[in-house]
Amino acid sequence: MTVASSASGLLAMLQEQHPALKLYALNNLNYLADHFWPEISTNISTIESLYEDECFEEKQLAALVASKVFYHLGELNDSLIYALGAGPLFDVSEESEYVQTLVAKCIDEYVALRVKASESTEEAANIDPRLVAIVERMLDKCMSDGKFQQAVGIALECRRLDKLEQAISKSENVSAMLSYCLRLSQTHVDKREFRHEVLRLIVNLYQGLPSPDYLSVCQCLMFLDDPGNVANILDELIKGDKVDTLLAYQVAFDLFENEYQPFLLNVRDSLPDPQTTSSSKMVVEGTVTSSIENDSSVGNVETSAANSPLTGAGVLLDGTAGRQAAEDTTSTTEHGSSSSQELSVYADRMVKLKGILSGETPIHLALQFLYGRNRSDLLTLKTIKQSVEMRNSVCHSATIYANALMHAGTTVDTFLRENLDWLSRATNWAKFSATAGLGVIHRGHLQQGRSLMAPYLPQNGGSGGGSPYSEGGALYALGLIHANHGEGIKQFLLESLRNTNNEVIQHGACLGLGLAALGTADEEVYEDIKSVLYTDSAVAGEAAGIAMGLLMVGTASEKAGEMLAYAHDTQHEKIIRGLAIGIALVVYGREEEADTLIEQMTRDQDPILRYGGMYALALAYRGTANNSAIRRLLHFAVSDVSDDVRRAAVLALGFVLCSEPEQTPRIVSLLSESYNAHVRYGAALAVGISCAGSGSSEAVSLLEPLTSDAVDFVRQGALMSMAMVLMQTTEARDPHVGTFRRQLEKIVLDKHEDTMSKMGAILAYGILDAGGRNVSIMLQSRTGHDRAMAVVGMAIFTQFWYWYPLIYFISLSFAPTAFIGLNHELKMPKFEFISDIRPSIFSYPPPTAPPSTSSNIKLPMAVLSTSARAKARAKKEVDSKASAGKPLPREVNTNLSSDSSGSTEGTEKDLTTTTRDGDAMEVDTGPEKKATNAEPSSEVLSNPARVVPLQEKYIKFPEGCRFAPVKKTPSGFVMLRDLDPLEPVELVSTNAPSTGLPSSNVGATVPANSMPVDDEPAPPEPFVYVP
Amino acid sequence: MEAKFADAEKLFDRLKSAFVAQDYETSITLLSQLKVKLTEFSGLPPLYRQTPTQVQELVLARSILEYAVILSVKTEDQESFERHFLQLKPYYTDTRQLISRSSEEYPILGLNLLRLLVQNRIAEFHTELELLPPEALDDVCLKHAIELEQSFMEGAYNRVLNARQAFPHETYLYFMDLLAKTVRDEIAGCSEKAFDFLTVADAKKILMFSSDQELLKYAAE
Repeated sequence: MTVASSASGLLAMLQEQHPALKLYALNNLNYLADHFWPEISTNISTIESLYEDECFEEKQLAALVASKVFYHLGELNDSLIYALGAGPLFDVSEESEYVQTLVAKCIDEYVALRVKASESTEEAANIDPRLVAIVERMLDKCMSDGKFQQAVGIALECRRLDKLEQAISKSENVSAMLSYCLRLSQTHVDKREFRHEVLRLIVNLYQGLPSPDYLSVCQCLMFLDDPGNVANILDELIKGDKVDTLLAYQVAFDLFENEYQPFLLNVRDSLPDPQTTSSSKMVVEGTVTSSIENDSSVGNVETSAANSPLTGAGVLLDGTAGRQAAEDTTSTTEHGSSSSQELSVYADRMVKLKGILSGETPIHLALQFLYGRNRSDLLTLKTIKQSVEMRNSVCHSATIYANALMHAGTTVDTFLRENLDWLSRATNWAKFSATAGLGVIHRGHLQQGRSLMAPYLPQNGGSGGGSPYSEGGALYALGLIHANHGEGIKQFLLESLRNTNNEVIQHGACLGLGLAALGTADEEVYEDIKSVLYTDSAVAGEAAGIAMGLLMVGTASEKAGEMLAYAHDTQHEKIIRGLAIGIALVVYGREEEADTLIEQMTRDQDPILRYGGMYALALAYRGTANNSAIRRLLHFAVSDVSDDVRRAAVLALGFVLCSEPEQTPRIVSLLSESYNAHVRYGAALAVGISCAGSGSSEAVSLLEPLTSDAVDFVRQGALMSMAMVLMQTTEARDPHVGTFRRQLEKIVLDKHEDTMSKMGAILAYGILDAGGRNVSIMLQSRTGHDRAMAVVGMAIFTQFWYWYPLIYFISLSFAPTAFIGLNHELKMPKFEFISDIRPSIFSYPPPTAPPSTSSNIKLPMAVLSTSARAKARAKKEVDSKASAGKPLPREVNTNLSSDSSGSTEGTEKDLTTTTRDGDAMEVDTGPEKKATNAEPSSEVLSNPARVVPLQEKYIKFPEGCRFAPVKKTPSGFVMLRDLDPLEPVELVSTNAPSTGLPSSNVGATVPANSMPVDDEPAPPEPFVYVP
Repeated sequence: MEAKFADAEKLFDRLKSAFVAQDYETSITLLSQLKVKLTEFSGLPPLYRQTPTQVQELVLARSILEYAVILSVKTEDQESFERHFLQLKPYYTDTRQLISRSSEEYPILGLNLLRLLVQNRIAEFHTELELLPPEALDDVCLKHAIELEQSFMEGAYNRVLNARQAFPHETYLYFMDLLAKTVRDEIAGCSEKAFDFLTVADAKKILMFSSDQELLKYAAE
């Protein structure tokens, strides 16, 4: 086979006069360019002049050859220019390296130009139309090849909505493509405005589908902040049949999960009130229906008077819905009555829907779950309590905080009740936080919250006997109970704020108000808080600053300027700090919009305001992983003169990266080795924040050396971060958990350990076992939307550096990790599903063994504790009969062996609790028995169950199950479709937390309260007697 | 393809007759027609498709280009010479397996060497030289060119000028004349530096002119 050895002949031919010869030479050069480009490159000017020669017909061919040569020379820019000149001859579908490289270059160039054009808000006219042509050809090719995902990606990058639309609508699986696009737009589009445009497009496309995926549509609409449309969709859905209604409920639950209160309230308010809509329809319909209406109202005596005018409107409802409703109704045959019934069905559904949106239903259900499944380990607390020195108030209150966090949302305050005496040592601010801790424990107990706190609350009409600290704490607690759902309590808190001049009470009331009215931007509340701020009292002012921020979360209102001005005026550092954080909260999630304000703050003379600027960056860009934000933060982390600012800057990285937790350890790993302890501390918390609940091994290995750092506060931060990372991780999945728990224990028991790290360890216990081991820190909802309340809570939590009571804010970021299946009546049916993995991987950690006195040998100890239990049981039954309604003797913690009996005495029992106690024992022993045998490969969970986020992918629904879930991901609230509606449904018996009983006051009567018997120590380990 | 080939051959015959008749104008037009025709044959470089008529095509194309090269010497057109030579070269280097050596090959290669010498492109001259097979160096035409180069480099200009009398091929005459001029340019350049002034007689001797007129004419240039 003969091959050409040189292109010189062809190059010579280019000099020929005859155009046919030139053409021939060019053609061949084009064909040979990949081999002979070095030779051609010496003559490139000839080819270039051919391209520029007006008379030459095949300019484009010349351009193509030139482009190839430049490509080989590595001059991509020149190559691109000539490739553009080659026009249609540049074949995007060619598989060669040259074409692929150039197409990539083309797209990059185009993306850069588009982005620039959209940012400078000028017309994109200066983009080379030839470039556009190539990109479009590439997109068309992707689409014709069926590579729709690529097409969507490129279109998104190029910001070409028209192409995006085309790509999505041409693909075979439109809805899959839409959800892909939705995910992309969340993770990769970092311009807020463009993201919104994309989302709008997605919504439009979804609505064009025959069966729109309402779950996704509503998510999009929520991102777009469009409550009106969501309300319309929901309204339509609940007018439909049962399945649609379930879907509506599911949508509502999903929306609720994002905890975007103002939006939810708006949706709820724009939903029509069933009564008013029908009457308004009546007005329209007027005379036409009047005759029917008269007939029916006469016919139906049982329908109330209010219902009669509604019947007419009911007829108007869509036909299928009517039929469906008719099936639902039991026996009515008469048209009028069926429609009225249907209307009441509609009204009923509307009420339920609003219940979900306002948060009542889900919060109630979550409360039931947390209460029912509480697995907190009181023994750990007891150990902590005993090992902490009495005089050390920091550790004393840390224990109280840890208790509050461990029982967050479970309403279980046994520990406090048992240790009232010990608790009473808390004075002043410690008392404030002890009282506020009740709020964390009873979080979400909306109905009874106020009555629970009543004994501590300031009495109306005068400052009663209570100490201002407990009163302030109680107001703060009310805020925590009603966080983000504070419509009912707002007025009360506002009045309390107005009625007091005491700065401690003002402090509590401000925080409480901020929490309860989170993000509502209520003017009236704002004005009141502002007047507190202007009293220029350090303590109250700090809380006021934060509260203003809480109130205005994410509004980016001009109030921020006002706050900044006052921050410059005041002398109190506390107030400046409060305001700085407040300003940061105001710009929450505004991304680029916040840049001017951030710039202003970060350039300020005052380090505290720069500190606030870091938080503003963190919150404005939370979860976006925005490169410019990360760059700015890293810059401050290494260059600012103030340690506080540097610490905050590193810490802020955790917020910015919380959507991509796997990135954080890598980014902060260098900082974690900084010589500056503040930077190390920040790095520890940043990892803790972004990797919370992930159990990520990189995070753990980064934190591990920090837990034994030379500086005490770094240890503290590292311990707490470690606890955040390892939340709900079992030892079976990651052996670090066990090591970490032992380390915590060692630190707590070690008398010579620094107070700071001891406090960190105690709090770490609280975080590790938070919410009865049923919650996890989730800064993002399952759909990838940031949970505003959680992020805000976490941000304020990190302020505990300056002010311990702010620790409680972390409870805002707790989310129950539960699967709660609900039927169309929003009740939990009995229902089982499978977790297809070894139970130990995701099980609760085993309860700590009762502490053994050091010198005792094992066997007698076991016998002793069993007999002690038996005695305790007998004694308890006697007690429960005898001591109803009487104050109980206070527990005396003198020796360890009395623990098991002593702990049961703290609360009053009746016979039912005793039996429940027995059940609990069985539950406890169950897993242990399993563990001794060969472990099964799957386990059956029953509704409602704890499902850890990482466990979700193993959840399966058994074949032939009666209930089918409406949405795919098995977590959170899931609506279940009943496949066999005629069978009676067995509901899960709900042991709702106790109601209406005032909580114990310090030193007052201990009230009856049907507490679960979690304080019961674990039964002894099953053992085999070996003679 | 056959027809095209026949066409080309016919055209080539006309070219030959025109060339023999020393009608260079017609030859050039015919040649350019022929070259366009050649582009249609796919058996030629650089494609080398294996067609049934590939060998004939190659031979024909080669002789056409050889004519083109010689024609450009006759018309004293160096550019066209270079162009055509470069087009011809693949036929000499890449087609060894397909067609046998042309009788014109060495004279033309020699011509090319001479041209490079004339244009004072010594580097390229040596590159070309290296590409030649050893046995080619024995050829009289090539040897001539190589000797000339050696004399030129040594500064034995009289040998260069005398070599004009002993040309191996009639086409070499043109280049030999040019070469004489190149040599004189070199000498003149050197003597400018070497002498402050020169008598006409000395200059005549140095530049190896046979008469004063020639010298004056050269000086005028």
